[in-house]
Amino acid sequence: MSNLTKTSATRSNGSTASPMATRGPRLSGLNWLIWRQHRAGFWTLLAITAVCVAWLVYQRTDLINQLTAQGWPDSAPDKWLNGEHPERFQFVGVALGFIPIVLGVFLGAPLLSGDLENGTAQLVASQSVTPIRWLATKLAVSGLVVIVCTAALSVAFGRWWGPVKYVPTALEWSDGAAFDNTGPIPVALALFTVVGGVAIGMLLRRTLISMVVTFAFAVVVQLVWSYFRLDLGHVHTVTTHKGISEGTFPQTPQAALEIDHWYISGSGQTYGWGTCTHEVSEKVCIQKFDLVGWKVDYLPMSQMSSMQWFGASILFALTAAVTVFIFIRGRKRIV
Amino acid sequence: MDAGGPANEPAIEANRVGMKFRRGWALQDCSFRLPAGRICGLVGPNGAGKTTLMAIAANLLQPTDGTLKVFGAAPESAEAGRRTAFLAQEKPLFRRFTVTETLRMGRELNPGWDQRAAENIVRAGNVPMEAKIGTLSGGQRTRVAFALAFGKRPDLLLLDEPMSDLDPLVRHELMSTLMAEAAEHGTTVLMSSHMLSELENVCDFLLVISTGGLRMAGDVDELRSAHLLLHGVRSDESDSQRQGHVQDVPAELAGHTLVEYRTSGRQVTALIRPDGPVTGQWQAATPNLEELLLSYLRCPDAPPLITFQAHVPGQTYGSNGSRTVAA
Repeated sequence: MSNLTKTSATRSNGSTASPMATRGPRLSGLNWLIWRQHRAGFWTLLAITAVCVAWLVYQRTDLINQLTAQGWPDSAPDKWLNGEHPERFQFVGVALGFIPIVLGVFLGAPLLSGDLENGTAQLVASQSVTPIRWLATKLAVSGLVVIVCTAALSVAFGRWWGPVKYVPTALEWSDGAAFDNTGPIPVALALFTVVGGVAIGMLLRRTLISMVVTFAFAVVVQLVWSYFRLDLGHVHTVTTHKGISEGTFPQTPQAALEIDHWYISGSGQTYGWGTCTHEVSEKVCIQKFDLVGWKVDYLPMSQMSSMQWFGASILFALTAAVTVFIFIRGRKRIV
Repeated sequence: MDAGGPANEPAIEANRVGMKFRRGWALQDCSFRLPAGRICGLVGPNGAGKTTLMAIAANLLQPTDGTLKVFGAAPESAEAGRRTAFLAQEKPLFRRFTVTETLRMGRELNPGWDQRAAENIVRAGNVPMEAKIGTLSGGQRTRVAFALAFGKRPDLLLLDEPMSDLDPLVRHELMSTLMAEAAEHGTTVLMSSHMLSELENVCDFLLVISTGGLRMAGDVDELRSAHLLLHGVRSDESDSQRQGHVQDVPAELAGHTLVEYRTSGRQVTALIRPDGPVTGQWQAATPNLEELLLSYLRCPDAPPLITFQAHVPGQTYGSNGSRTVAA
């Protein structure tokens, strides 16, 4: 066997004689390792995304055909949005909302816990790469796949919904089905949930239990998010002083979300809109409280984009914080 | 014995290394020096901290106390990481990778990778290169893990129970490869094992640890020649009720450092570190490595022996033989 080592010593670097599957651009180093290790999951994600995007593009074409047949874009579209599209928007919007949860549970949670559980984290750590680089590559490659998938879906869904976004029968813009599936929000929610799952997996070091905990975490994120979603906007107020009889209710911009409305008195005080239900008649009520008009709080649709970017930046900041935590902990002890 | 050459950088220098887990101390106050180029056996009972010590050297754990240096560099430094290879006891590998892909991982992640050496080790066991790791037998998997560790061309090879799941033939073959490799490249090997007889053929340096910390460290020949194994017959006046107790040790052994004293019937066996000539009716012999190790493993209270070669400069050690058995 000294013969064996002698011949090997003369060959400095290995011949690449061994056959290798070369598909697409050649990856090398850690990128190759991460891609090879998780390629089944990554390809599945990319394939599902491609199918979904194709379907969404087809839906948009179908919608545009339907709309143009009825005179779009010259007249208001709400008169002729019928057929199956409103229902489909609702269904697809809700379904897409589950993507962050699915990504967190099936991509984020096992990402590190699998390696920690099987000892392969030790294996990689005993090669000539630092654990921090391994962590960084792992997060970067997975993050890239998540960003590509969710951004593609966001754009495709946004383009489908775009022509009818002022149509109240399609989707309310403030509704999660629309708000969370367009613009930067899908990317931000998915990234935060995935990175949260990675951190949970890192702490728990067991795949199954970290998937369960990540599921709970992802659901809580969705709940908290939908609870605070509307607080991202800057509420507009409109007041009138033309009485409270029929037809005096103030006009808000098209597709604006009315948050609340009140009666307003001569002295400027507000009364809830149910104030008069206990009075004998509206007239008595008007006299008693000196009601002179309406006050309405609303969020105009023009705020949607800025609300989305504001919300996304909060989520990105949280994602960055969790990532920093992962690196600090990874520096201290990874295996 | 006499390290005649210039004292080059030791492969491992541990300075009061301690590691505390939630359950308590796994390793405590461990100071030693492993000169470069040695094949070192790491021996100790289960749970003594062998794996912990190796994991610290391989930068998988950070010690709670003290420092450990690999070729003068901290284990977390890039240089130490490049020069060290660690074969963990469980031999973790990616189960869905093929053997080829596993070796490719070694090539992708290690700048000094030696594909030929790695492939030769795999081929010697007739392991099919396109087989998935998950379909291999335990021994074949160990072989691939070995290939991965060898292919890195490390200067320090840390092997944790490397032979536990290999048949005797393969064990012998891989050991020979290991020895040839180490001799050829001047690789330092630190290897933990419970197979004392195998260590005897392979190792020229020894570290013995037990729950208290380091028990023995140094060159094998030096350690052996520092001890005497005494056989004798017990004198009649001793009380048979108290047999095996150290209190019964004959007075003529009191001047030496007593490691172990055992009686079975009228037969008496003692392992001592002689401090001057031994008097009395004893048959004296230099113990072999296995006898020496067994005595130290059986008697964790024996005073530690760290030979000069294993000394860390600046550390104080009790001078050999000056301490006697207290209990």
